[in-house]
Amino acid sequence: MSALVISHVSKTFGGLRAVSDVSFTVPDKSIYGVIGPNGAGKTTVFNLVTGVYPIDKGGSIRLYDMDLVGKKPAQIAVSGIARTFQNIRLFAKLSVLENVLVACETTRKTGLGSALLRTAGFFDDEAALTKRALDLLAVFELDKAADEDATSLSYGNQRRLEIARAMMLNPKLLLLDEPAAGMNYGEAEGLKEQIRWLREQFDITVVLVEHNMQVVMGVCERIHVLDHGETIAEGTPDEIKKDPKVLAAYLGEEASEETRTPEDISAPPGTHEGGAA
Amino acid sequence: MPRAGKNAAIAAALLGIAIGAELFLARAVPDSSIRQLLMLAAVNILIALSLNVINGMAGQFSIGHAGFVGVGAYASAVVMSNLHHRLPGDITFARSFLMVPPSMIAGGVLAAGFGLLVGLPSLRLRGDYLAIVTLGFAEIFRLLIATAAAQETGLAGLLAKLGGQNGYAGPNDLGVPQYAGPFWVLGTVFLVTILCFRLKFSGWGRALRALREDEIAAAAVGVDPTRYKVTSFVLAAFGAGIAGSLLSTMRDGSPITQPDSFNFQASFDAITMVILGGSGSISGAILGGLFVTFTIKLIELLQAMESVQAFKASHEWLDLNALRMVIYAGVLIAVMILRPEGVFGERELGQRRGKVR
Repeated sequence: MSALVISHVSKTFGGLRAVSDVSFTVPDKSIYGVIGPNGAGKTTVFNLVTGVYPIDKGGSIRLYDMDLVGKKPAQIAVSGIARTFQNIRLFAKLSVLENVLVACETTRKTGLGSALLRTAGFFDDEAALTKRALDLLAVFELDKAADEDATSLSYGNQRRLEIARAMMLNPKLLLLDEPAAGMNYGEAEGLKEQIRWLREQFDITVVLVEHNMQVVMGVCERIHVLDHGETIAEGTPDEIKKDPKVLAAYLGEEASEETRTPEDISAPPGTHEGGAA
Repeated sequence: MPRAGKNAAIAAALLGIAIGAELFLARAVPDSSIRQLLMLAAVNILIALSLNVINGMAGQFSIGHAGFVGVGAYASAVVMSNLHHRLPGDITFARSFLMVPPSMIAGGVLAAGFGLLVGLPSLRLRGDYLAIVTLGFAEIFRLLIATAAAQETGLAGLLAKLGGQNGYAGPNDLGVPQYAGPFWVLGTVFLVTILCFRLKFSGWGRALRALREDEIAAAAVGVDPTRYKVTSFVLAAFGAGIAGSLLSTMRDGSPITQPDSFNFQASFDAITMVILGGSGSISGAILGGLFVTFTIKLIELLQAMESVQAFKASHEWLDLNALRMVIYAGVLIAVMILRPEGVFGERELGQRRGKVR
């Protein structure tokens, strides 16, 4: 069964068509990449899947056999889609542990009333959730920093914490928005390992939006290429590397298979003006 | 000590203090204007604590809190004076158990209802826009009561029974009976303080703070902004209603509930209390409530001094009431420069740095 099926999804902001009739299917337990030049609509696709924006009429988004259209972001998160953000979005004044704990609020057995009355159930709940959060932080080697301010962590650890927070939801699908942003070659190599490890460790499907071709080509099993909100290619990394449309989008109209080698696609992407990021 | 035993000990101690205040306050403090001031301080603490839920913890900027206080005050005054009218008797401590709970619940529940009414449409708004809606609600409430004319029919006629600009003094204009003694006022402050701490240091409070820091990220981990914002609005309004209820029925207070007690100045005072003490801090709200109450009284005392009166007589242009705003402004500017996060920041009295558990 496919983990995520997106069919005929469009999104218009005023007169701007940010995403236009995009369809793709993410196989269960796969690592799937969405790439494209700046402004191609990659992050918009993530925002449509997670319900930040409603999709235009006519399309559908399904997680396994669940219809996600019309659901609010919080409902979608609980249904099993966790995400990270292009610019890290941690809860600034909360500690590392609290950041993770917020993500399991919905799994709490007791409500606001028992918090106010401080019933035995409240303490049991709090203890169980704290233990789960600390165990998860230990998996990400962040347990030593549990009581520190989330924003006092190093950049790399903040990215890890954001992923840890997402995993606290027990998701079926993890969306990573440019996880390699700001990483050097060595760190990007490490990231590839981490993404594979995440899939094995938590038995999930991963979809990533990424600019870094070293990571995308190295870790993704299938890749979807967007340009100006439209699909221009879909396939395995090897197919994508050879696709003339992809080469044209990344390197300009003149580029062709004769004059360009597949490695050239690893060069920094071209910048198309217009379109939503 | 085990948790249950410790809690029982604290509860017994607080109950003792409240009963002690009820029995001995009048003897310990013979000056009724000072007693009124103490009661007012307690009510202001309640106003600050409730506003702190919405402005501090949830980060929603509401500047119409006096409106909710007013709803509670009028509802409570009506319920209590009618109860007293139907069941005539002396104003005693024993009878206060019959009178205070129903009027307090009426005030809190009605205010919470209005909280829901204002909170729901406000969800799409944030920052300045939300502030305008809350201010609008408070002013509409005040002006509806102040301008209702007796000859009108329907809703306006009904509102006119609340006395218009002159204030509400019960069904036969004998004044609102003042059953809420120090026991009720102090006891409510203790109870609400404890509940505020429990609210803040629970998963619910944590989610609320997360929502304040980043709404999109909070929604992405399953915290539904709608539910949390509306609930915090309703809770804050309920608390304000309780505070208003005590304000209109407290012993040594004014027997007439007047619409001008709930003007913009009152809302502004409430915001000063919260920001001065530290947005999100319960200790800060208490400190702010005390500061605002006593600053006002201090200025009133200064105004009453002979030398000041003589000075005022020789300088007619001097508006002493404006001095209060000068002191406010001065203190607020000083706090903003020295401690932009307020006296306590988001922390509590005795809480170690970095520990928010």
